[in-house]
Amino acid sequence: MSFEPRIVGFLCNWCSYTGADLAGTSRIHYPPNVHIIRVMCSARIDPTFVLKALAQGADGVLVCGCHPGDCHYTDGNYKAMRRFPLLKRVLDAYGLEKDRVRLEWVSASEGQRFADVVSDMTERIRPLGPCRIRPGLQADMAER
Amino acid sequence: MQSCKIGVYICQCGTNIAKMVDCEALVAFAETLPEVALAKTYKYMCSNPGQDMIVQDIQANGLDRVVVAACSPRMHERTFRNALQVAGLNPYFFEMANIREHCSWVHDDPVAATQKAKALVRGAVLRVARHEALERKTVDMCPEVLVIGGGIAGLTAALDIADAGHRVHLVERQGSLGGNLARIDLTAPFLNAARDLLTERITRVTESERIDVMLHSRVVNLDGFIGNYRATVEVRDADGLPRKTEFLVGNVIVATGYQEFEASRITHYGYGKLPNVVTSFEFELMLRHGRIQMADGHLPRFVSIIHCVGSRSQEFHGYCSRVCCMTALKYAHEVRSAIPGCHVSDIYIDMHAFGKGHEDFYRRSSEVKTLFLMYRKGDRPVIRRADPGDTCDMLIEVNEQLSGETIEIPADLVVLMVGMEARSDAHEVARLVNISQDKEGWFIESHPKLDPVATTTDGVYIAGTCAAPKDIPDTVAQARASAARILAKVARGRIEVDAVYAEVDEARCSGCRICNDLCPYSAIEFDAVKKVSRVISAVCKACGACGAACPSGAIKARHFTDAQIFAQIEGVLL
Repeated sequence: MSFEPRIVGFLCNWCSYTGADLAGTSRIHYPPNVHIIRVMCSARIDPTFVLKALAQGADGVLVCGCHPGDCHYTDGNYKAMRRFPLLKRVLDAYGLEKDRVRLEWVSASEGQRFADVVSDMTERIRPLGPCRIRPGLQADMAER
Repeated sequence: MQSCKIGVYICQCGTNIAKMVDCEALVAFAETLPEVALAKTYKYMCSNPGQDMIVQDIQANGLDRVVVAACSPRMHERTFRNALQVAGLNPYFFEMANIREHCSWVHDDPVAATQKAKALVRGAVLRVARHEALERKTVDMCPEVLVIGGGIAGLTAALDIADAGHRVHLVERQGSLGGNLARIDLTAPFLNAARDLLTERITRVTESERIDVMLHSRVVNLDGFIGNYRATVEVRDADGLPRKTEFLVGNVIVATGYQEFEASRITHYGYGKLPNVVTSFEFELMLRHGRIQMADGHLPRFVSIIHCVGSRSQEFHGYCSRVCCMTALKYAHEVRSAIPGCHVSDIYIDMHAFGKGHEDFYRRSSEVKTLFLMYRKGDRPVIRRADPGDTCDMLIEVNEQLSGETIEIPADLVVLMVGMEARSDAHEVARLVNISQDKEGWFIESHPKLDPVATTTDGVYIAGTCAAPKDIPDTVAQARASAARILAKVARGRIEVDAVYAEVDEARCSGCRICNDLCPYSAIEFDAVKKVSRVISAVCKACGACGAACPSGAIKARHFTDAQIFAQIEGVLL
């Protein structure tokens, strides 16, 4: 059997989770690789959530929030956006391929966009194979 | 951590879930998960027997945690939390796994879908084991209401609330009340005068002691939460100078209406260039002035009405604007009664006559010799100036669908039935009251069928055409529904608010104050004596930004704690 990436998706409740629900009610099909975890706002997504997912065996992590200017909590997505490059730098240091962790904006009306993001991400991660930084991350997180 | 007894319930949702996910296999899998005492599947968990099953199991088997794998928690989380409460269990000892919207409806391989459902259930089981009992708080409900928009929706809602004895603050941008309806002559299909419908409402509103009407005004800020919003309104004085006023309201009704499609965007109809091509609103103005005439003042002998201008098209708006078909029939009626002998043609795609009395109205219009010509979506009629020798101003060429022929008809006056669209400033309003817009810009309701006037923000309601195109009866029904929803809550005096908010563990707080500035609601205050930060729970809206940012891990985002989310991460990575 070919390699199927396991991806954890952290979605904000108001835009992205609702957008993913809309993909469902619209019966828009996409690959089953992303397993969704709901948070109230993308600002709640502590970088350690992403690290934890990768350490636990995720091959990729998707972070979704409302489009800039549209956050249910005024500007939570800007906080997520500011945090993201710092997280990417840490992950770069571990040697993680850039396609494995992604920040995307998906609104409540963008069911199709959510499906497209999941499809695209799955396609990009599949040829990369399993995530290799897991042992290093696990060791470092255990130390914390 | 204390061990717990978790009940797992797999909903089949008729066949919505069961046809793609092997529910029996899911039950067998759930039984193997840690701390799961029992697992069951049932046709509809949200039904009364389904909920009763959960209640009985909690009471008979001593379950202390419940997972329901079914639809989106946005649909039924509240339903099942109530069931837990009925059984005497804290409602927050509950978690849903979304195996319908996020699984059975979006995947086509039953094996992969079942595998994913297992992972989602495992995530929910591991998470719920770490849930904590949370107590909901009750807060005072301010009975006053802010109504934004003084059209038929806003006027109607304001009157219902004022009639119940409560104060209403009605904010209108324009210098007069009535909104778009005030621009209309007669209404279809019963030909009531719009003026009659409005005059009674406007008189009562302006004379009401309980309704504070603010014209030339706009809401510039709204802070707070259900029962306790603080609104700031910019009012223009008689001399035109802006002045700000602030007041407290418990609930808000957004009734900001629509704007009409800009007809010049469809260039080949020649609107703005051909003097006798007018929009439906310009035609209404002629009707209200009592004279249907061409630009040169002559009476038209041929009037053509073109439907779906900006509506039901790929380039502009895909949706139907709902009121134009009947309005067009009304025009045919009004033209013929004003100018006997005038030829009226009605150029349409489909005739939408779905409402009460509409089909009758259509039949009566057909009987009075209106020429109906059907064009195909995307194959618009072409309007050109008539030649000097012609006895009309313009010629319209239509690829007529029913006859299959290309037909050319004369026209002296062309009325473009411009559709409704979301107001260009709808985004500002959405940001102001914290609600969402769909891809067309309309405000999104809490649930399109079951909760059409509520929004995702508690205490903020939408009514009328700001949510989607609709006719007057539907608009009025929504206005009255939103008023009724608010009055029902106001009658109880106090309101229960969600128990999900952030908390600071003072023993771990270093007093760095990073969270103080991060909070969008200024809900975190600093205790200068103890040198710790503290969350004002009533003001906190539970986004969790502070929890993610706290360098000492002192802030707990209740119900979205690190431990709960870490457990869910572990769970979904099956």
